[in-house]
Amino acid sequence: MKKSKYLLLLSLSLVVSMFLAACGGGDKGKDDDKAADKGGKSAQEIRMLESTAIPAMDSVKASDTVSFTTMNNVMEGLYRLDPNQEVVPGMADGEPTVSDDGLTYTFKIRDAKWSNGDPVTANDFVYAWKKAMDPATASEYGPYMMEGKIKGAAEIIAAAAEKKDVDLNTLGVKALDEKTLEVALEKPIPYIKSLMAFPTFYPQNQKFVEEQGDKYAQKAENLIFNGPFVLSDWDGSTDSEWSYIKNKDYWDADTVKLEKVQWNVLKDPQAQANAFETGEVDITGKLSSDVVPQYEGDERLVKWLEPTLAWLKMNQKDNKALQNPDIRKAIAQAINKQDYVDGVLNNGSIVANYAVPNEFVKNEETGKDFRDINGNKLLPYNVDAAKKAWKKGLAALGTDTVELRYLTDDTETAKKTAEYIKSQLETNLKGIKISVESVPFSVRIDRQNKQDYDLQLALWGPDYLDPMTFSDLWVTGSGNNKMSYSNPKYDKLIKDAQTTLAQSPVERYKALAEAERILLEEDAAIAPIYQRSSNVLVSEKVKNFTYHLVGPEYSFKWTSVK
Amino acid sequence: MENEKIPQEMFSPVEMDATKSEQISKPSLNYWQDAWLRVRKNKGAIVSIIILAILIIMAIVGPNITGHGYADQNLKHNNLPPRIPVLENISWLPFDGELTRKNGDTYNAYKVKHVDEYYWLGTDSLGRDIFTRLWKGTQVSLYIAFLAAAIDMIIGVLYGAISGFVGGRTDNFMQRITEILIGIPNLVVVILMIIVLKPGILSITIALTITGWVGMARVVRAQVLKLKSQEYVLAARTLGLSNGKIIGKHLVPNLAGVIIINTMFTIPNAIFFEAFLSFIGLGLQPPHASLGTLIDDGFKVLQLYPYQMIIPAIVISLIMICFNMVADGLRDALDPKMRD
Amino acid sequence: MAKYVTQRIIYMIITLFLIASFTFFLMKIIPGTPFTKADKLSETQLAIMKEKYGLDDPVPVQYANYMMNLVKGDLGVSFQFDNVGVTEIIVKSFGPSAQLGFQAIIFGTIFGIILGVLAALKQNTWVDYGSTFIAVLGKSIPSFVFAGLMQYYLGVKLGWFPVAFWRGPEYTILPTIALAMFPLATAARFVRTEMIEVLESDYIVLAKAKGASWFDIAFKHALRNALIPVVTVLGPLVVSLMTGSLVIEKIFGIPGIGEQFVKSIQVNDYPVIMGTTLLFAALFVVVILIVDLLYGVIDPRIRLAGGKK
Repeated sequence: MKKSKYLLLLSLSLVVSMFLAACGGGDKGKDDDKAADKGGKSAQEIRMLESTAIPAMDSVKASDTVSFTTMNNVMEGLYRLDPNQEVVPGMADGEPTVSDDGLTYTFKIRDAKWSNGDPVTANDFVYAWKKAMDPATASEYGPYMMEGKIKGAAEIIAAAAEKKDVDLNTLGVKALDEKTLEVALEKPIPYIKSLMAFPTFYPQNQKFVEEQGDKYAQKAENLIFNGPFVLSDWDGSTDSEWSYIKNKDYWDADTVKLEKVQWNVLKDPQAQANAFETGEVDITGKLSSDVVPQYEGDERLVKWLEPTLAWLKMNQKDNKALQNPDIRKAIAQAINKQDYVDGVLNNGSIVANYAVPNEFVKNEETGKDFRDINGNKLLPYNVDAAKKAWKKGLAALGTDTVELRYLTDDTETAKKTAEYIKSQLETNLKGIKISVESVPFSVRIDRQNKQDYDLQLALWGPDYLDPMTFSDLWVTGSGNNKMSYSNPKYDKLIKDAQTTLAQSPVERYKALAEAERILLEEDAAIAPIYQRSSNVLVSEKVKNFTYHLVGPEYSFKWTSVK
Repeated sequence: MENEKIPQEMFSPVEMDATKSEQISKPSLNYWQDAWLRVRKNKGAIVSIIILAILIIMAIVGPNITGHGYADQNLKHNNLPPRIPVLENISWLPFDGELTRKNGDTYNAYKVKHVDEYYWLGTDSLGRDIFTRLWKGTQVSLYIAFLAAAIDMIIGVLYGAISGFVGGRTDNFMQRITEILIGIPNLVVVILMIIVLKPGILSITIALTITGWVGMARVVRAQVLKLKSQEYVLAARTLGLSNGKIIGKHLVPNLAGVIIINTMFTIPNAIFFEAFLSFIGLGLQPPHASLGTLIDDGFKVLQLYPYQMIIPAIVISLIMICFNMVADGLRDALDPKMRD
Repeated sequence: MAKYVTQRIIYMIITLFLIASFTFFLMKIIPGTPFTKADKLSETQLAIMKEKYGLDDPVPVQYANYMMNLVKGDLGVSFQFDNVGVTEIIVKSFGPSAQLGFQAIIFGTIFGIILGVLAALKQNTWVDYGSTFIAVLGKSIPSFVFAGLMQYYLGVKLGWFPVAFWRGPEYTILPTIALAMFPLATAARFVRTEMIEVLESDYIVLAKAKGASWFDIAFKHALRNALIPVVTVLGPLVVSLMTGSLVIEKIFGIPGIGEQFVKSIQVNDYPVIMGTTLLFAALFVVVILIVDLLYGVIDPRIRLAGGKK
């Protein structure tokens, strides 16, 4: 009996260790390879950090910045953004020809090759765009980016929603010949070139994609590339390491200096800074505001203003208090934003008294920033005005207490912000009571869609370089409004900007600026809080580090090692 | 060793007194009096009990001492280091209001920010008084800890003891139930509770209640399995003692060691489970604080403002060490086999 | 014995089925949406997406479908990653977590037992206090603090170990130590308590009287009997360590399953939640069975219910 028990114990531990060896063993070989790669690094190599793995490499399915950034470096659309945030030609050969009504664009495709040797053709674009609209693809960004912009997109979505048959050929995109692409628009789009730089509009080689079938874009070997680099060592969405290798067949390969960009996933911001300190990486991901002050004054800290705004949405549905503009004005003006960005964020973020970000877009005719029209003074912090409006609002409501729920994310910054705003409102407005509800992102979005909140702190980043990506949010019934704000004056100005004024930049900007003024000064529909700043640590040896304001975050086409 | 001869005269006959042979020299004590007598002898345990008592008193009165509320913000006074009157002049004590930059320079944060007030333990990033928040946090952490321990003791011990003692089919059935409870991921249950109920202390409490006692039940069951086949239990049974009495009089005292040690582990586990929930963003709702959230917040700015983590960390360690010392003392005192 | 094990395996399957069912329905009550870009999608688009993933069916229908596929061994496809099978995600991310957990449990238990035995043998001396101090420290410092401090001081300041990533054996040292503190403390405390008790018992006194060396007494006679509660506690701990630690994985950049799981709950990635839960649950019931079998091996006085003969 005793012997058999020891035998049992022995065999059990054997089984466990064999099982583990099998589990760990497979990875080991790969790890060693990667370690070896690291040892033999060439001079023109930089090492980067990312906070998550790449969720998707199929350009029509991706919906997040990590995927977009990767695609921006290993693939290329008609246009791309350069280090000065200007749109420069990519696959497009020079300027497009535009019809007089501004609704039809014809692009010439340059002589470029996929990494399997096939030429890039107009049909590659047609194929990819149709795939993005195909209900079977279940793309999130395809319909979002094309609806109301590319002709026929809205009809396809409506048909898909009613489960009718969908005719993808009605989409306004055509290959006139091998190298000529014709795009038909719903309405004139002044920012079309910047839109074409967005990965959702990238081409896909039909023959290769169909050959790969379900496996397409699952791993690096199931992809072909037409960008400055090719993706390598990428073992699928769960892989935490990957690299870009210079693409010798890229049409502008002479410009590309880097031989290799090595990526690793590391989520913790302090750990990212630690890895940077020991020289394990050359560029960190975006640092949290807890880490930034450690590097105040350090030359390696690169800081820029993102066109991302944080604002309080005030839900007017079923809420008597928030339906009152005076109450909304009081809330918006009772928060000391300067103290907040200096004391709490302390990372270069700035006070936002506006609804379209600063340093974001310039008028193509005058070259002036959109913000020059209204400045930074709509609905600023003003306790006296807030208290006055509050009294007036309460009198109109016939009450002296207002209880509001404050919905926010469960991140550190979001929670701290909630504590600050709660304290500001409760100190400055007598009778207000805020109960904070911090929930995971997916829950917040779900509740936003159901309009189940009173106040909500939301962040919004642009998808293309035009004020419209912010302005059309607040149109009556817009899919992103979700707070029952409605003002016919506002709707009309936006409509004008999209149609009659579309081809006269100066008037168009004026209309959008007036709409912004109405939104904030007259209606106080939202309470803007701050415009976010990004901070990353960049080693001294990196030259021409290139970040972007919309879509993908970084380009390495122009980057090199000193 | 020397083999000395002992002289005859050193021996004297013992006087046998039949009346005294039945006399008990020690005072008659019941189980608990006896246990208390032995705890008292353990100096470490006594000191720990005193420290714990002080901490509990501070947790109750501490938040009201400085006059700053635990949620009162003053951004102009944020991130100030500790400064205490009188003690600030003793250079080797960290109460002089000085901070060190990353390059090694020191500066007086109070002078830079033109603050005349004294914040004994400094302020956090929103300018809240850490002294007040510390004791408020201790209050919440102790509450969660005691609650978890109580649940463990009541549900866990009972469940485990019954399962182990009755054995057979009942045991089998009860064990399968605990397996299911262990198998369902804690986090799914907790997130559900926190989202369905309102986030806050109550939902954390309920979440802890649902899954917390299973570990204790398993340990107790294992111990009971071991004990029940031992001779003294058999003897008690042969003498016709009822099951309830066997559990109460013989098993529980022998289980005391394991139960106490396990409880002492439940307490930090509960405190840290709550901290973990804060780490993933599901813990207490602002502006409430616990020692776990204070450490979590402080850890993020450790390299700039080390005091923000060190202070709550000292308190939490103190609580843990004291609980452990008390536990050791109790274990030695309660275990019938350790009697001298 | 064989009969007992077969019986237990049947129970295990029933247990797993119940866990899967409970988790499925619990998970469906959690509010939120699995679509990461839901803030930018219109109602019609959301409806199309829901239909595509079968989320517009009533929950019981979804449950039936899931169970049917599960029986076929199909765990479904993740929502957060484009078209990646749940099985693949689990297999890939479980490797590093399991390796780390196993290393931590070995390291932790061995040192924990040694500390515990020494403390018991030298009760109430500085050895005992020292071991208690280490154990209390291991319990009272949150793992993210411990891991963060080690990374900063041993990695950045002293440069002894790599700061982060998962590239080879030397990269596992810091996370292993960070993860091992908990089992180390647990083992040390339980072994000490049990050993002190066992050392008082008659057969040890007899062994002493026979002149056995302290080593023989401690490790041959006493330890075996002191291990019962340790095994009980460490069993489930093995599983929780092997299934990964969100904190350690996050700080050291390890592509493990702990992080994966927490994230999948936060983004409502239903198929991944279910798949991972099933893996965890299966590990738990297997380990619990092993623990029950081990009782008999370690302590000859315990007989298993089925093996009474």
